[in-house]
Order: sequence, then structure tokens, then C-alpha cells
Amino acid sequence: MIPVESESSTKNGIKIVYVAKENLLAFLTEKKEQGFDTLLMITGVDYRDHLEVLYHLLSSKTNERLIVKTKTNEEVESVTSLWKGANWHEREAWDLLGIKFLNHPNLTRILLPEGWVGHPLRKDYPMDKKQYVNLADDGKDRVSFEKSEGY
Amino acid sequence: MSDSILVTSIDEAMKWGTGKSLWPFTFGLACCAIEMMSTMGSDYDWARFGSDVFRDSPRHSDLMIVSGTVTKKMAPRIRRLYDQMAFPKFVISMGACASAGGPYVRGYSVVDGVDQVVPVDVYLYGCPPRPEALIQALKLLQDRIVAGKVKH
Amino acid sequence: MEDKIVEVNFGPQHPSTHGVLRIKVKLDGEIIVDAQPVIGYLHRNAEKLSEMGGYPKGMIYMDRLDYVAALNMELGYVMSVEQLMDVQVPERALWIRMMMVELNRIASHLIWLGTHGLDMGMLTPFFYCFSEREKILRIFDEITGSRLLYNYFAVGGVYSDITPKSVEMIKEWYGNFYKRLEEIQSIFAKSYIYVQRTKNVGKLSAEDVLSYGITGPMQRASGMKRDVRKDNPYLFYDKINFDVPTRGEGDVYARFLVRIEEMRQSASIVNQVVGKIPQGDFYNKKYSKPMLVRLKATGESYVPTESPKGEFGVHLIGDGSSIPYRVRIRSPSFANLSSIPTMLKGYKIADLTASVSSIDPVFGEVDR
Repeated sequence: MIPVESESSTKNGIKIVYVAKENLLAFLTEKKEQGFDTLLMITGVDYRDHLEVLYHLLSSKTNERLIVKTKTNEEVESVTSLWKGANWHEREAWDLLGIKFLNHPNLTRILLPEGWVGHPLRKDYPMDKKQYVNLADDGKDRVSFEKSEGY
Repeated sequence: MSDSILVTSIDEAMKWGTGKSLWPFTFGLACCAIEMMSTMGSDYDWARFGSDVFRDSPRHSDLMIVSGTVTKKMAPRIRRLYDQMAFPKFVISMGACASAGGPYVRGYSVVDGVDQVVPVDVYLYGCPPRPEALIQALKLLQDRIVAGKVKH
Repeated sequence: MEDKIVEVNFGPQHPSTHGVLRIKVKLDGEIIVDAQPVIGYLHRNAEKLSEMGGYPKGMIYMDRLDYVAALNMELGYVMSVEQLMDVQVPERALWIRMMMVELNRIASHLIWLGTHGLDMGMLTPFFYCFSEREKILRIFDEITGSRLLYNYFAVGGVYSDITPKSVEMIKEWYGNFYKRLEEIQSIFAKSYIYVQRTKNVGKLSAEDVLSYGITGPMQRASGMKRDVRKDNPYLFYDKINFDVPTRGEGDVYARFLVRIEEMRQSASIVNQVVGKIPQGDFYNKKYSKPMLVRLKATGESYVPTESPKGEFGVHLIGDGSSIPYRVRIRSPSFANLSSIPTMLKGYKIADLTASVSSIDPVFGEVDR
């Protein structure tokens, strides 16, 4: 039994559990064996001095739900070995929030073009510095801060 | 004297023919595309104004209706498709997002209007505009073509 | 002569796609070896912009996520906000919400059916389905004032009441619906070419469905009988009789049959609800001017609902002010679309349009 750091719940009764970063992969493997076979989504929250990663789990036999949270500064283990659907969710968390997932097969940007600078959902992202996108000759995207170079 | 009357009549006839048989290019990006498809349907029949077929390739079509938000990742591809159309070609920008950015105007990855990418002939506001409004835009464009007041 | 792998690009604009999707396909002759989707061409910053306005302001961004079933998106968001702030909603408003959401589910499946026929090369179902859908849009126009994007649900109830004329329109629509649906279904089922093109194509097994987190009609067509309306009931779904259709094969034809049967069940729900709406208030009078009241909230909430594509919910984190700290949207099409590499591998290139169209993706929701 992996120890749990603290517990709370949402306003309509879904249990929330906090786990330390080092125990995360072992805890989720244990939960998957206990019957939580569906991973609904992976998200992140920026709390200015640290980041948090959330995992929404669902058991299709007993209809029980669970939210697992962990604190980090930069990096977390990837769970693509347990659920194949985690691949795209982790790429989006890297793209928009800058959370790095170790041992991910292909950690690249998914929603923004390659070459974008910065992670927009962070609270200190400068919204007034705009970036402009154009197509290079080899078909890839080219991003720059100059207005004349793109749209 | 008889030469110039003949040329003027042919010129007028060609402009009338271009205006009354515009073939649109299917370019639906977002929510406004659903209203465009409703206009093609049988309740608000779009085919009776001469735009009978929706062509899928840019090389076969005259009219590009940009319906939906233009994002920075998509904008260079729109320019490339516009360059592949043959002259004479026209653009209708449908909806608030394509005309001026819409509700997403403060976003970091949205272009404020498609007129920063391609030259536009008719702007149409609404979120989304009703099918009757789209038919009015088509009539306006047809009148401007017949009068000769378009920009390529 | 050695075999070479050819890479073909199905670009963001081409006729048989349901929006701006790009797939990079690697071909060995005619067999698909690998297919990688590229998304992000409609990324409109819905989450960041919702975090910059108040709680009622996020409603316009939620409308435009799955734009063909906008009321389902509003329901997921407004139920999450009401849980966060402990707002009581009167009974009449809850029954009205249920009826509108089920009508919108039928409208969404009709669009899917029309464009699915267009992808398979049939033009007749497109006109029939859009003509049927116009009747439902006129009902919405009468009640809410708008055809496609409504902004109709508000914190504490709904914006306007249903009129006796709209109840008449619903009863008249219901009288003709089953006959028309039978006609449209027979166009597909009696066409030998359609059945050959869709049986045993795009199969997904039950283990793949669980591993990718796929929900909705795709999960029900692969043999798993799961529906949020029966498993975690919300509104008054536990007081209404309806069935959850399931098939076991997991191919494109099974998904087609599941969606047609779902339309019949939704029509039956609408008929049962329209006779049961009680008299009373249609909004909570304490929140009568929701745009002007500074609603403050603390805590977290997530309410799962069943949208036409799968499970939808909004996870809200409030920090005590009138602006949400984090708005996170669980979109079903994002998870459904990530199964494309598994679904297409080993099939021929002519099966690509049938498989992608059976997922029913809507790109406002995938890219947010």
C-alpha cells in the first residue's frame, strides 16, 4: 500500500488524493490493478511557486471516481505504459503548461506550432508580446516575433 | 463605332455571366460552416442563385467563403489555397471571427480577421449569421461584379 | 525492386473531413502502415480567455466548443458552476433543460448522418437530414431566439420560458419523426455498397477502448454498456424510461446502428418530458441579474455529463474571487481521435474516410 499524503473532495463528492512525486507511478499501477481501468484526462495547474498535475480515474465496473494530484517543480514520470490515451494528454500539458514527462515516446507540441516560445497557460505568460507564424519552404512552421514575417 | 459597341456588349455579357455562376470552394473552418451547409440544403436553397456545385479543388472554383476563426497555424495554408485559385476570384468573409476576430480577439493564437491574409470583397457579420444573411451577401457580390467594382 | 514507403498528406482542407484535421499517412502500396494525426488548426484559447473573465462570461466560450450540440456543452459548465456555488435551481428549469438537451442530441446526430453519407459518396441523405434538422432549429428559434449558438442556460435556471406555441411545435414534430427516420435509415441499410464498405472496417476492441479512454457511442458499439445518464444520473434521468443501445462488433456499421437507435430513444425521452413539466419559476429569483452579480466561489467541482460524443465535464477551481482560477475542459472528441493510429493500421486507403467519419470529431472541441 503506497502511503497517501492527504485527502479532500470536490463539492459533489468525488475523492481527491495527494501523492508524493516519487510514489506516483507505483500508486497509479496499484489503482489500475484495483479496478480503475479508465483514465479520463490529465491536466495541470500553475500555482505560481509550484505546479500540480491531476489525473482523473474511473472504474467501469463500480462507477467509482478518483482524482490523484501531485506537486512538482518541473518533471513527472509519464504513464503511457499503463494507458495508451495518456500520450496526447501529456503532450498537451507540456505544450500549454511546460510540465516535462520523463520517458514519453514523443514529447512535442500538439496544439501550437513548433517553434512557439513560452507556455501560454502559465500565469506569468506575457499576453502583449505577439508571435507570428509562416510556412518555411520545407513545409514546416516558422515562428518569430517580427510582424512582417508572418500572420 | 460598331467595333466598340460589340466589345462593350461582350464585356457586359461576360461580367453578367461571371457574377451569376459563381462556384464556391468548400472552406468551412468552424461554427459558421454549419450555417453554410444549412444554406446549401433544401430549405434555403443556394443552388437557385447559380452556385450549383461546391467544388473541392481550389483550381476549379471562383469564390472562397472563409467561415470560421482564422488561427495563426492555419493562416499560411489559407494564403497558399488562395494563390492556387485562378483569376477572376472573390472572397466572402463570413461571421464575426473571420471579419474582425470575433469573441476570441484577445487570444494569443488568433488572427484578427482574414483580411490580414487575403483581400476580401464582402464582409458579413453575425455569430453565426443566418442563412438569409449569407444569401444577401451573395446577391451583393453579384451586383458588384456586374457593376465592375471588385478588387482581385 | 524493393518496396518503398510513400508518405501522403491529407491536408487541413479536403472534402471528406469534418473540420480541420491533417493526417500524415505512410503507405505501402495500398495498405496503410502508419497514420499520425496533426491537430491544432483551430486552437482558440477557450481556457485562457475563460480564466480572464467572470463565471457567467465563460458561457460563450463553452457554446462554441462543440458547436453542433451547444446546449450539452452549456449544461456541463453550468452544472459545475452551480455545484461550486451551492445554487438551487427550481424544478421547472431542470425539466426544461432536460428536454432541450435531448432535442440537441437528435440535431447533432442528424448532422453526423448527413455528412457521413456525403463522405461515402451519397448525396440524398445530406438533404433529407438537414431538412429534418431545420424543424428542430425552428423549435429552438421559438424558445431561445437563436438557431445554432444559444447562451440560454444561466446560473440558477434558464433565460426564457417555453411558450404554448413551442409545445405545439414539439408535438407536431414528434408525430412525423419516426416515419422519416425509418426512411433515412433504409437509404443506408438497403444499399449493398454501403454495407460492404462499412462492415469489418475500423474495428476497435474493448481493451483498446479502455486504454484510450474512449467514451460515448464508440464505446457502446464495442460491447460495453456505459452511459453517464444511467451510471451517475443527473437532472431527472432516473425518473424516465429509456434504453442504452449496444452492439458487439466495434466496426463502422455498428457505430451507425448505435447512433440511429440513440435518436429513437432521445425522441421517446422528449415525448415523455414534454407532458411532465411542472408549473413554477424558470429561474432562481435570487440570481436574477447574473451578469451583474459578483459571484464568488472557493473549492473544486467536476460534474460528468453525457454529450453526443461521449463524457463531457468542466473541472473548475475557485480561489475565493469572482474569476475562476482554473477552467479545464474534458473533451470527448480529443480522446476519441487519439485512437486513429490503432484504428487505421492494416486497412486499405479507401477505408480511411469511412473510419475517420465514424469517430464524429468536432474540432471546436478537440482544439478548444
